[in-house]
Amino acid sequence: MRRVLKPTPTLTLPRWAGEGIGFAVLGAYALLYASPYGLRVLTVAGVYALAAIGFQIVFGLGGALSLAHGAFFGVGAYATGILGSQLGWTFAATFPLSILVPFLLALLVGLPVLRLESHYFALATLGIAQVVLLLAVNCPGLTGGANGLPGVPGIVLFGWAVPRGLPLAAVVWGFVALGGALAWSLARGRWGRALTLVRDDPLAAGALGLDVGRLRLGAFALSAVYAGAAGALSVHTQRVVSPEVLEFPVMVSILAIAVVGGRGRVAGAVLGAVLLVHLPEWFRFLERSYLIVYGVALLATIVLLPEGLTGLLDRLFPPRRRALPAAVAPSAAASVEGAVLRVEGLRKAFGGVRAVDGVALTLEAGSITGLIGPNGSGKTTVINLISGLERPDAGRVVVAGQDLAGKRPDRIARAGIARTFQAVSLPEGATVLEAVAAARLERDRSVAEAEAHALWALERLGAADLAQRPCADLPAALRRRVELARALARQPAVLLLDEPAAGLTDAEKADLAGHLRAIAAAGTALLVVEHDMGFLLPLAGHVLCLDQGRTLYDGPPAGVRGDAAVVAAYLGEDAP
Amino acid sequence: MTTLQLLVNGLALGAAYALVALGFVLVLNATSAVNFAQGDLVTAGGLLAVALAPLIPLPGIALLPVVLVIMAALGLLLALAAYLPLRRSPPVAVFISTIAVGIILQNGASVLFGPEPRAAPPLLSGGTVDLGGLVVAEQSLAIIAVAGLLIAGQQWLFARTQVGRRLRATAQDPEMARACGVPVTAMILVTFALGTAYAGAAGLLLANRYFVTPTAGGDLILKAYIAVTIGGWGSVPGAVVGALLIALFEVGVSSVLSYPVALGLLYAALLVILLARPQGLFGEAARRRA
Repeated sequence: MRRVLKPTPTLTLPRWAGEGIGFAVLGAYALLYASPYGLRVLTVAGVYALAAIGFQIVFGLGGALSLAHGAFFGVGAYATGILGSQLGWTFAATFPLSILVPFLLALLVGLPVLRLESHYFALATLGIAQVVLLLAVNCPGLTGGANGLPGVPGIVLFGWAVPRGLPLAAVVWGFVALGGALAWSLARGRWGRALTLVRDDPLAAGALGLDVGRLRLGAFALSAVYAGAAGALSVHTQRVVSPEVLEFPVMVSILAIAVVGGRGRVAGAVLGAVLLVHLPEWFRFLERSYLIVYGVALLATIVLLPEGLTGLLDRLFPPRRRALPAAVAPSAAASVEGAVLRVEGLRKAFGGVRAVDGVALTLEAGSITGLIGPNGSGKTTVINLISGLERPDAGRVVVAGQDLAGKRPDRIARAGIARTFQAVSLPEGATVLEAVAAARLERDRSVAEAEAHALWALERLGAADLAQRPCADLPAALRRRVELARALARQPAVLLLDEPAAGLTDAEKADLAGHLRAIAAAGTALLVVEHDMGFLLPLAGHVLCLDQGRTLYDGPPAGVRGDAAVVAAYLGEDAP
Repeated sequence: MTTLQLLVNGLALGAAYALVALGFVLVLNATSAVNFAQGDLVTAGGLLAVALAPLIPLPGIALLPVVLVIMAALGLLLALAAYLPLRRSPPVAVFISTIAVGIILQNGASVLFGPEPRAAPPLLSGGTVDLGGLVVAEQSLAIIAVAGLLIAGQQWLFARTQVGRRLRATAQDPEMARACGVPVTAMILVTFALGTAYAGAAGLLLANRYFVTPTAGGDLILKAYIAVTIGGWGSVPGAVVGALLIALFEVGVSSVLSYPVALGLLYAALLVILLARPQGLFGEAARRRA
């Protein structure tokens, strides 16, 4: 089944060749050509690059449009300004504190704010930024008010007072290189992958065992670290701190840099910063209103080049396809016998409607249970309640002796319950292998290991040849197959499937039934919601029929067609 | 100043805010997109009035139709440049494109007019009126009357006319509306024109008492946003009520403490509301998208 991909005989450059060339060009410009003024502009570009790298983490990877990023930049700047100019502290003390203060602020406000939906999140973070600005302007005792604080000392590194010009530019860009390398390795690793899934599909991320809240908070706090460091460096460059560092133009510049450079890309942040900070120099006639150019660049990029400049470069010089890893079977899950999931007295009402009203069921290891019922009878709600997507009003969901009812989806997923969704959603930008590997991020030690295990899951379903295809190109039937592989990759004790055969042809259904039998035979307990009785009844060992949230029938599949209550529910009360 | 005078001032400010929030929520409902440029469009309307005043030496009320028409045209331009190319993109794309338009407007204004605050002519004479012992600024009453008429006009348009029915259908369910033969794209353009015209009118109304500076839009979009959040995301009457509440709060607290404190408390109150009731004070009316 595995394909051997022949490497194409081209000049093989390391993956970071583009970045290396870029840095070399910048270095050569700084050393050989830049005037003192040019070096100053380059230093400012470095400051913005560092801030934008942080913004790529929270906005690019995490998908949260944080309008407080400029405020974290400003808080870092003020920390350095106040401690340096008022208390006379040196860089060795002010720099760590300028990182720590925005970090703590982000943790504090992030906990509540990150629960909000996207537009409310943007609004709330903008509100935070405005409050910080108001405080800075209106507390002159601490911040110097509208005039700010002059006399901020320069950077002193291990006793060496860094002079302006080339040394300062080199130090700032050293921080950019350091921060960039860290962000790059994080973005490529398990954490970055998990974060992109949280961005693209938070529901699926939770169902795959990822703690969405914690990942978002981590990204928000880490972005504040970058912003704080950039703010501190900007004050050391300017030698004064004023409310300007907290005003909206800073935020706008960082946003524009990230979008123009390319969302989520470290190289994009650097490219965008160098380009946009230099743009006003090329449009000198606009003087103070260089921001018009930013506005136009931002609008043109989002309309014409939504992937940004790095996306354009990728299209011009497509990165080589990575070779597939070898499929590796994950170490077998502890095999369980008997009842793996016990649900008792499950209830849920939406407004006045009792969607689920006292449902009980037990799933045995290695068994297939069918869950049927007319539309709106509560089948999907049962799956949502078991998997934690909805909170039950009452009832128990017991796995391995533990009651998980009302727990978070990721907690339930880690206890061994996996599910698929009625409307399949796969991250459009990812390849099939990446999408399936997301299921293993919470458990495996590296992305490589997760991908090897993902390929194993795809092979089990005969879908390994899809591994390198983009999810966006797949037809519906294959998307269902990939989603099933993703659930299977978790090696779940219990697998909840919501209409897995919807939209499949008869041949595909027969194929799917074979796979489901094999999965059950390996010890997993399956609960299958399905409308197609011809598919489900031969497959299931046991069938539950729901109507208006209550269990109408609970028994062997053979009896369901003859049950008067079931027939009445499907055909209406008056039916014989 | 007596409480009643403060109340009139608060209502006048609230009436202008209500126009801003109304335009914001109409576009939100029709497109599911947040128009972040709404605040800068208010500034643009105010500065337009400032620029027109020497050309049309009449009371400010005569400028209103001109401002409405020019701003409606600007709204069409906004939709063509920043919304229509992105209607299939994720909602955050429109958020960013309208931020970009806001930056262009704001800095375009400061190139053309400079950073100093400017004042537009008063709507009528700019004097005061004695209402049985209560002396209030004529401008305040005129603002309330003009904004009230414009809001009533929007209600009439949406409730009583064929265009209004189509606009409502578009806002409720664009796919369904298109299936029923409603020219959805045209309706979206009309909505942008209307929302922008109302922002411009608010600019004209505000630009006499409160002056207008190129960077004032940032605060205004936040207030529109807060009004719509308080009123229930997507609710048209809720946006108007939310705007009035914000203005009364602002005028009340400013009179006792100071404007920065009022603003800070307003944002703090917003954060508390968002955290305690993420669906807004009166529940959400719109589909959940940014």
